Amino acid sequence: MEHSHSKYISNFNSWAEQKRFVDFTDKDVEFLKKLHPFAIEYADTFVEKLYEHLMTFPDTKRFLGDEKMLMRLKLAQKSYFIDLTSGEYGEEYFKSRIKVGIVHQRIGLPPRIYMSTYCYYMQLIIPHIYGNPAFDAETSNGIFSALYKIINLDQELAISAYVHATDEVISRQTEEILEMSTPVIQIWEGVVAAPIIGMLDNGRTQQFMERLLEKIVETNSPVALIDITGVPQIDTATAQHLIDTINAVKLLGSQVIITGVRPVIAQTLVHLGIDLSGIVTRPTMASGLKVALDKLSIKFIDPSKA
Amino acid sequence: MANEFGENPIQTEGDIVTCRKLIRNASVAAGFGMTDVTRIVTAVSELARNVYVHSGSHGVMRWQTLYKPGQIGIQLEFEDYGVGIPDIDQAIEAGFTTAGSMGMGLSGVKRLMDDMTIKSETSVGTIVTIEKWGRAK
Amino acid sequence: MDENTLSVIKLKNILLVTVPDEPGDDIIHELQTKVLHAIEKYQSKGLILDISNVNILDSFFARTISETTQMVALMGGKTVIAGMQPCVAITATELGLHLGKAISTLDVDRALDIFSDNFKLV
Repeated sequence: MEHSHSKYISNFNSWAEQKRFVDFTDKDVEFLKKLHPFAIEYADTFVEKLYEHLMTFPDTKRFLGDEKMLMRLKLAQKSYFIDLTSGEYGEEYFKSRIKVGIVHQRIGLPPRIYMSTYCYYMQLIIPHIYGNPAFDAETSNGIFSALYKIINLDQELAISAYVHATDEVISRQTEEILEMSTPVIQIWEGVVAAPIIGMLDNGRTQQFMERLLEKIVETNSPVALIDITGVPQIDTATAQHLIDTINAVKLLGSQVIITGVRPVIAQTLVHLGIDLSGIVTRPTMASGLKVALDKLSIKFIDPSKA
Repeated sequence: MANEFGENPIQTEGDIVTCRKLIRNASVAAGFGMTDVTRIVTAVSELARNVYVHSGSHGVMRWQTLYKPGQIGIQLEFEDYGVGIPDIDQAIEAGFTTAGSMGMGLSGVKRLMDDMTIKSETSVGTIVTIEKWGRAK
Repeated sequence: MDENTLSVIKLKNILLVTVPDEPGDDIIHELQTKVLHAIEKYQSKGLILDISNVNILDSFFARTISETTQMVALMGGKTVIAGMQPCVAITATELGLHLGKAISTLDVDRALDIFSDNFKLV
């Protein structure tokens, strides 16, 4: 399901479910609030230490940009750390976390850097949870557990957004590749040709049919060659898609010639009992083109031979 | 984006064209491409005519646009208060024909759309619901 | 174009009808009657239906075209459908529509070629 993810990350209700999933309750919110004053107090120190650490890795350093960019990142990181314990985990919080994932994907920051930041943050904050005279042992445990849960929720949202953004890039590219893999070109006045590479599935056929028919009308071509040399194997569904295309072309007033019918394809078509007897088929594009040109020239009576 | 919705009675032959025009405008506004718009409007024409023929002038079409991230959709509902369809599976099967339609009927409409459901009760009426989805631009 | 009337144009021994973009049932009924009467009146040997403006072809319209083609044939004429739009052709195919014995051409010029004396069907 191509869009199930986008549906998921954008659905605030499903986040409420995710909270129940990790058992994030009002009690956890209370624990996190207890940590909040310390989170504010040490936020600057944490951010400085984190970036000092990150800067020791050359391949990480290049994602952090120039001084100005670094300043912005540190500010964003600071408010991110503070929000973590703010006690407000509603829709605003939800949206800001999704945005973090999308932004990271866009600048090409690998998820491992994003993930390890939490690890480093934990190392910095733990002494303030367990070594803190303000908290007894039970409170410390409660805070630790709550912090772990909210970080898990954060990561889940950001990674989902990350994956979704990547999915979008992939589906856009897939569409572009599809379009490029089935070009429709005018090869003679009155003849268009469309070589098909790969299998014809439902979605691809619809797109192919549209572009073929539009090209036929645009170039006013009475003949269209569909070359299936690049189709590895044919099944009943693919054959049906081809027949649909041929029928639609016929309604326009143009005719399809199927070329590139290799022996294995011919065998399969007969074994499957697919009847293409009403359709002109040829083994090669060259022989198909000859048929097309013959057809066209019949319409022009040569006066010298009349 | 806000969901658009509306309804239109199907009582006269002229209402078939009104429904088509209404849905053409709605699908173009929602962002469907030309071929999908043609599929949707043609499905509307088939179903609206079905309702007109079967309902004795008491049919209605309801519609709404739908949005999912990255996708646009339209949902249409055709309700008649006619005799009902005794055997839905048979009605969807290609070639089955009632009241002198060409016999493509529901199976053809199903091919044009992404989803089709039929609820029918003998001598109460029939509701046909169809959905079409496309990529948002 | 006035959508409520339909003109049947006589071009020598052929009839040309340009169908409006959203033809209603009444227009489609009118089309058949007008065409058949014109064929009788002018002894036309053919009919060209220019549907290049048409953006919807449903089963009712397709059936009328198919039947009209048969009726025109009974009166000694040939029917040519000219200029169907790609989106209409795709939808008609998916819906499973057939236009019977009507011949399709890419445009009206090519339809006229079919009626010219030196044309041979390939």
